[in-house]
Amino acid sequence: MTSLLIFEHIQNAYHSLRSTKMRTLLTILGVAIGVASITTILSLGGGVTKLVSNQIDNLGGNIAVVRPGMVSKSLNDFTNPTTSGIFTTSTLTEEDFRDIQAVEGVEAAAPLMVLNGSVKSTKNGTKPANSVIVATTPSLEQIAKLPIRDGQFIDTVTDQNTSVIGSQLSVDLFGTDQSIGQTFTFRGQIFTVIGVLKHMNNPINYNNVDFDHTAIISLESGKGFNQGIVQIQQINVSAKSVDQLPHVIDTANKQLLANHQDEKDFDILSGEEIAKPTSQFFKAVTAVMTVIAAISLVVGGIGIMNIMLVGVAERTREIGLRKAVGASDINIVWQFLTESLIMSLLGGILGYISGYIIALMISTALPFDPIFSWEIAAIAMSIAVGVGTVFGLYPAIRAARKDPIESLRQYH
Amino acid sequence: MTKKIPPVIELRGLTKRYGVGDAEHNALDEIDLTIEKGEFITIMGPSGCGKTTLLNILGLLDRSDDGEYLLDGKSVETLSNTRHARIRSQQIGIVFQSFNLINRLNVIENVALPLTYKGMFRTKRLIMASEILKSFHLSEREYYMPWQLSGGQMQRVAIARALVNNPSIILADEPTGNLDSKSSHIVMEELSDLHKRGNTIVMVTHNPNLTTYASRVIQMLDGKVASDTKVPPAKKETNKKKPLNIESSTPPVKDTPKKSAKNRKKKQAKK
Repeated sequence: MTSLLIFEHIQNAYHSLRSTKMRTLLTILGVAIGVASITTILSLGGGVTKLVSNQIDNLGGNIAVVRPGMVSKSLNDFTNPTTSGIFTTSTLTEEDFRDIQAVEGVEAAAPLMVLNGSVKSTKNGTKPANSVIVATTPSLEQIAKLPIRDGQFIDTVTDQNTSVIGSQLSVDLFGTDQSIGQTFTFRGQIFTVIGVLKHMNNPINYNNVDFDHTAIISLESGKGFNQGIVQIQQINVSAKSVDQLPHVIDTANKQLLANHQDEKDFDILSGEEIAKPTSQFFKAVTAVMTVIAAISLVVGGIGIMNIMLVGVAERTREIGLRKAVGASDINIVWQFLTESLIMSLLGGILGYISGYIIALMISTALPFDPIFSWEIAAIAMSIAVGVGTVFGLYPAIRAARKDPIESLRQYH
Repeated sequence: MTKKIPPVIELRGLTKRYGVGDAEHNALDEIDLTIEKGEFITIMGPSGCGKTTLLNILGLLDRSDDGEYLLDGKSVETLSNTRHARIRSQQIGIVFQSFNLINRLNVIENVALPLTYKGMFRTKRLIMASEILKSFHLSEREYYMPWQLSGGQMQRVAIARALVNNPSIILADEPTGNLDSKSSHIVMEELSDLHKRGNTIVMVTHNPNLTTYASRVIQMLDGKVASDTKVPPAKKETNKKKPLNIESSTPPVKDTPKKSAKNRKKKQAKK
């Protein structure tokens, strides 16, 4: 019997909300703001999370990554995943790298040795703030698919004092991206630019290096800065084909275990696993931000409750009359709950749409796009409905509990 | 009166108390009352004698503290609020002093409102409401808003609303209390007409002139029935003419008997 009344309640809610347009609009806006901020955060958070896994997909699926240390699954790990390994002494050695290179089925392997220190232009002495120095081998170009804009990548015959730099670093150092032949110093040593990378705008990637701001030098030069010892943060391995990857990982694993006296102080990751530490970090960040944004939803919900309580007080006589002509308590609860649900649902839709508009506007300044997924739509709508129910229930119950005699006695 | 049909309402020792301790008093004090089908009862009495309380209990808007209340032969005292709501929706029609029309809804929607809670669909509701309004000669006012009507029209709409779910009993709490004498008269004619069509009506009033319409007059005092007089039909007829004669100079009064005559004809035609 009550199910039949849903249409009546919707129609009734439509009429009563229309008769108080302004305050209905403001209440809807309150919910919309909360839902919009959650939609923005989730869509951008999803975008950045997918960024890394997309890169790995684009590389073709034959990539494995060796990282030092034990990858623990604790939350503490998320707090600093991109720099973990940089501040600790790596367990990976040059021997490991050579052994992996020698594994059957390996097409190429490249170590990444990130060095501390800053570069300085010899021309005008500018010191870009956020530059990174990476020492590696020529195969990195192939594995990481680094695009060269000008000049060449470091190779086996190039001088130890040569470097390939990112386009942004080139601009920061020399004021131009046409910087071949220019020189800069790093820890007192002079490097000549022999190649400039294309602008990639890709600061978040599985190498944990923003190649736009990077100066790439040879592994030998890198060793020179570290008392002749290689300090490897990551080894990128590419198999000859996708099929051979599991075998490569298996063999490399055995080889490294042997090298490390059966101590599993390294990880060989492939596919989605590579993206996992980065993705999980951003997922955690997204979750924290969502919780903060949820506070604004509580405010929106209080707005609904407030307006519904006003509505109930205003319509006390109507409630009394409806009860007198046969409305049960449940009927009254649903009548008012429908009203608050409609407001919150409209707020949810409005918030979802404006959330994406905001996300798209923000993403023009970011290296990634917001993702569109049904999950975000479902979350936004269920949050809106949840707010409508939670904050609409009390006023609705209050309305239903009203004594019909008292209610009818009340004059306006 | 046939004995087989149970009385519409039967009260046995109905008591309602207000206040606590020293302040406690009985608003209704062991009332015994039987209302048969087709009676038009007016309940009279000074303010605070408990007549409105009685009406509220009859309308299941309030609960008694003691005693028994049988509606259509069934005890309703111990039923849940939800069951009470259902009985209100199916067996009781209430007319209020202050009309209590919902301002947001137009006339026909106001009249159709009780049918909503019977779970009837909108189209069917509006058809039924329209039929009822036709018998009250308010067809051309169907899409007016309540504030566009006169007091008398509003109360007639309210009576139509009380009648739309075809209740066993119509309860009216001072239906003419907010009306001028002209409108009062029209409204009373309408109620009287309903009575003639076989409806059971219980009306609370202050106005002794209105008792002339009733088939039975109950005087209440301090929560008790002080007197219970059945008005013989013959006497009623003569009495009934009296107010008509007094106000016969005003044109609407002349109108109304015609109206009721029309109604009667219509009803007969329907049958």
